[in-house]
Amino acid sequence: MELPSIHLENVSVRYGDRDVLKDINISLNEQRIGVIGANGAGKSTLSRLLNGLVLPTEGSVRIGDLTTSQHAKQIRRQVGFVFQNPANQIIMPIVSDDIAFGLKNLSLPKAERTQRVNETLHELNISHLADRESHTLSGGEQQMVALASVLAMRPETIIFDEPTTMLDLRNRLAFQHEISKLSQRAIVVTHDLEILEDFERVLVITDGTVAFDGQPADAIAHYRQWSHA
Amino acid sequence: MIAANNTSYLALIKPGWKFGALLVLSIALYLINSWTVLLSIFIVSVVLLLTARVNFKQIRLPLISLAVILSVVFILLGIQTDWLNALRSVLRLLTMCLLAYSVSLTTKFEAMLELFQQVASPVRFVGGNPAQIALALSMTIRFIPELKKVYVEVREAQHARGLANNPLAVTVPLVIRSLRIADETAEALDARGYDSEPAAFRR
Repeated sequence: MELPSIHLENVSVRYGDRDVLKDINISLNEQRIGVIGANGAGKSTLSRLLNGLVLPTEGSVRIGDLTTSQHAKQIRRQVGFVFQNPANQIIMPIVSDDIAFGLKNLSLPKAERTQRVNETLHELNISHLADRESHTLSGGEQQMVALASVLAMRPETIIFDEPTTMLDLRNRLAFQHEISKLSQRAIVVTHDLEILEDFERVLVITDGTVAFDGQPADAIAHYRQWSHA
Repeated sequence: MIAANNTSYLALIKPGWKFGALLVLSIALYLINSWTVLLSIFIVSVVLLLTARVNFKQIRLPLISLAVILSVVFILLGIQTDWLNALRSVLRLLTMCLLAYSVSLTTKFEAMLELFQQVASPVRFVGGNPAQIALALSMTIRFIPELKKVYVEVREAQHARGLANNPLAVTVPLVIRSLRIADETAEALDARGYDSEPAAFRR
């Protein structure tokens, strides 16, 4: 799959007087990219910039030929987002209806929606959850449903914002396995450093800037060193 | 009460017909005064529910609650008016509830929403958006259990801090956490391509 490049050019984000991100210049072409950093460093803001949920105060974010400030809706079709707390991401009371929700927004015909819902549930081995009420799911099941709802829309890139924070070890490993299987580009914001072992590139965000950009082992070593300082 | 998948004969009937019949029958029940006729219709409603392949675990608790409430109604009405009148009233209410369970538990939630959207379509003439109203309705149903969960968590936290009977201590964090949930859900709606802009204002 040919994945469009993501370019952040002179990107700054300011909330009131506070600079959350400062003059970020990066291009993302790899298939597995990790983002780590301390709480409040700007990781979540950076991830939200990539599908237009947050727009830059200065600079531009380009996905292929599209910029988030002008083409947010098109970009959201290409870039899916899995939030930290899946309970707040699941919109509909029934699992299969929730997965179909995004497809309805893409104006797909009902037959295709049903087919895609079934395919996605099958891919993730959660077909047994199709008819369950969303609020009765466990945390791990909810996170899988959240991933299914994004995968069903067949985005080219999926951003995960701390996806394993609320999961136990077993569900974390299962979720990690699903991420590793994805054919899409995955950009994972996380505190869970083990997830990043097989990644191609890891960014360390510190005080709104990219403090390190490189191989996972080096990035993690840099982050550990910074944390102990 | 919602259902995702039901394979009974009732599930094959179009939602519009089922809800229409429920409405007509509910009105008709109040035009019937013979307790024997009411009892017959009640038996039919029981048969309908029993043959509708519903998950009885799902309705056990609501049925117990209903039985308790209707017992109180029966006793109060019996004392205030007469026992035959109380029986008629209870039979009507019970029949309506059982019919409503049969209809709602054999209709897919998505189909119910579509029907609701059709019924609410005249609101377009006064600037309303039926799709948005339907989404609001489904999200209300979706988030009631979540808010209940938050309420229990907040109450437990306040109990642990010795604020057992302080409504303000529960209300303030509950409202703040509810607003945070609303904020995150709004982001999720955006991320999943939901277009909240009314059609008339789209460029």
